[in-house]
Amino acid sequence: MNSVLTLLRKDIRLFFRNKVAFSLTFIVPVVLIYVFGSVFGVNRSSSGPAGIPIAVVSQTDARVATSITDGLRAESSFRVITTWADENDQQIPLTEERVRALIHDNKLRFALVFPSDTISDESFGLKLKFLNNPRNEIETQTVNGLLQKVIFTSAPTALIDGLRKRAANFIGTEATDKFYSNLANTIADSFGLDPAAVKADMDAGNLVMGPSANAAEDETAPSANPATDFIGELIQIDNQQLAGANVKSPGATRVVGGWAIMFLLFSVSGASTALFEEKQAGIFHRLLASPVRRSHILWSKYLFNTLLGIVQLLVLFLAGQLMFGIEVVPHLPSLLVVVIVASLACTSFGMLLSSIASNPAAASGLATFLILTMSSIGGAWFPTSLMPEFIQSISKLTLVYWSMEGFLAVLWAQKPLIEILPTLGVLLAMATVVSAFSLWRFNRGNLFD
Amino acid sequence: MLEITSLTKRYGKLTALDDVSLRLQPGEFLGLLGPNGAGKSTLMSLISGLKRADAGTVTINGSIATAASSDVRQQLGFVPQNIALYDELTAEENLQVFGQLFGLNRATLKTRIDEGLTAVGLADRRRDRIKTFSGGMKRRLNLIAALLHRPKLLLCDEPTVGVDPQSRNAIFEFLQQRNAEGLTVIYSTHYMEEATRLCSRIAIIDHGKILADGTHQDLLNHLPSREQLFLPLGGPSTAALPDLARFGSIASTDEGHTIGLTPGTLLSAVFTVLESHHVPTSSCRLTRPGLEDVFLHLTGKAFRE
Repeated sequence: MNSVLTLLRKDIRLFFRNKVAFSLTFIVPVVLIYVFGSVFGVNRSSSGPAGIPIAVVSQTDARVATSITDGLRAESSFRVITTWADENDQQIPLTEERVRALIHDNKLRFALVFPSDTISDESFGLKLKFLNNPRNEIETQTVNGLLQKVIFTSAPTALIDGLRKRAANFIGTEATDKFYSNLANTIADSFGLDPAAVKADMDAGNLVMGPSANAAEDETAPSANPATDFIGELIQIDNQQLAGANVKSPGATRVVGGWAIMFLLFSVSGASTALFEEKQAGIFHRLLASPVRRSHILWSKYLFNTLLGIVQLLVLFLAGQLMFGIEVVPHLPSLLVVVIVASLACTSFGMLLSSIASNPAAASGLATFLILTMSSIGGAWFPTSLMPEFIQSISKLTLVYWSMEGFLAVLWAQKPLIEILPTLGVLLAMATVVSAFSLWRFNRGNLFD
Repeated sequence: MLEITSLTKRYGKLTALDDVSLRLQPGEFLGLLGPNGAGKSTLMSLISGLKRADAGTVTINGSIATAASSDVRQQLGFVPQNIALYDELTAEENLQVFGQLFGLNRATLKTRIDEGLTAVGLADRRRDRIKTFSGGMKRRLNLIAALLHRPKLLLCDEPTVGVDPQSRNAIFEFLQQRNAEGLTVIYSTHYMEEATRLCSRIAIIDHGKILADGTHQDLLNHLPSREQLFLPLGGPSTAALPDLARFGSIASTDEGHTIGLTPGTLLSAVFTVLESHHVPTSSCRLTRPGLEDVFLHLTGKAFRE
């Protein structure tokens, strides 16, 4: 027993001295659980996402627009945007044209437009426009479901509005008011209510269609309820996809960038640990005793990892074309530029690992921690819009996020190269800063000692 | 060939090399002998420009050796303590890499690789990956890789660690042959027999200082006696000690008495005294001192490997 305890104490001591094992056992899982939990809302009283931006543009004074907009605001999953800062930083109301431009630039992905004929004199029902860029399937499905819920909840009121308006057109306002007054009196007589209160409720649209009108509140699948089916037929939503409409394999195109960049990071970090292997083998001493300088060694590694990254990404994308029909070849020139820049950024990351880690095990552990964290908060697994706002801010500091932006800009939005330059600029800036820091670390570290 | 002047290197509070000066003539074979941690590898690193000295200079053929001096590096060959080869590459591919780094053209490199591999008996394994080699074979290749560019000065940092006797002999013979052809060699080791066998000159180093420097015989001359006579405890040996004292200093331990014979002592006179005290000569042991004794004499402690 004494032997067992001695060995046990030894294992515990070794474990706590092994920072890599410690971080992989405790820190990595905690961070990932937090990210996953945030995505799925397990740390909030209400589950589901929070704060997905949705623009609302109203071109009508119909009460339904206010009603649905209020419904959207009441839904915690949405963050309703109705204004936008102009060049002078003045908040101005959004227009449909502006919203379309913002969606095209991927600054917004969803917008609900209430056109001037939202409630028409000619027909009974609602007309809405839903402008979207469904570049992330999970996000889009979530928004569709939530939007449907809000609209269907607010629709009955709106429909009554439309019905009254239509009736007024046919029989005149006075006759319509008389009809509703008589109806209110009948209801009040039947149920022993105050006729004036009933009339006021009817004017506010709150007293019609009974429980079935509100059934949609609890329904996530409208077709499950005949009442909501009926309402659904009365609501005409003009769904306009502003980006990716021509993409042949939308599902695969959406995810291929995130997966590719994650695997590239693993490859690059693995290759960068070769620096440690060469150090341990004493090869650096042999090389540095020859006309080779430290900068030659670092540059050769940098170029090798970048080339490896470029080839790996191209192979992955071409495999995506063969297996899933992703359109790669038609966008090859632009894609190649993004691939090169993303590889440079990932290689910088690999060099950073080598420069700050003290041994291969530490580099490997740190790589696992950073890659999984960057992939999760950078949007490779889940849309960043489903994460808490502060994580969304952090995600923009990851090269996974910007690499995915680049890939989606080419393959999903099919943007010309000139429009992708800002994204590439961010990636290059990241690569430069990280490389400069790595170089500084290499000069101060003991990799070449 | 090589001139080291007041070389000092510190790692924090530890002084790894303390005001070391050495001068080496072309064709010399200098053994750098010292226990682990004595400063041998640090000195090698400073000579090869891998590390920067805190003070002092290293001059090779009149040029100061620094990390940036590529012309100096062309004159240097460095055999690191580790087997600094790429395991997944073949013997030939490894040599191609290191030869190309020294700017050898294809034809020259091919010739040198052929010569080198043949010289160390690895010609028939040239297309095998290093990972399939024995430790001794790797060591031999490790040596060849440092000589492809025909350096004038070869630095060998404990190149035979963990090597089987056959490979060790092959390495020794190879080095001796190159030295005979004019190659200057600095060979660091903590094996006294290696230094004794190979080196025309030996520098003993400990705690970052050169304690003694000279030929094997020069170093032995540091000792007050050339031969030592060991007598076991008890019996007639103890009775003979007063008469033996005139031949040198006597040191007694639990095992017996050691008499360090004064240079010039006639052994016949010593044995006459032993016979007169009826000390059986079969129980006596006459030993010649070695470098370990020199080290003990210089430092007051045994050589720790």
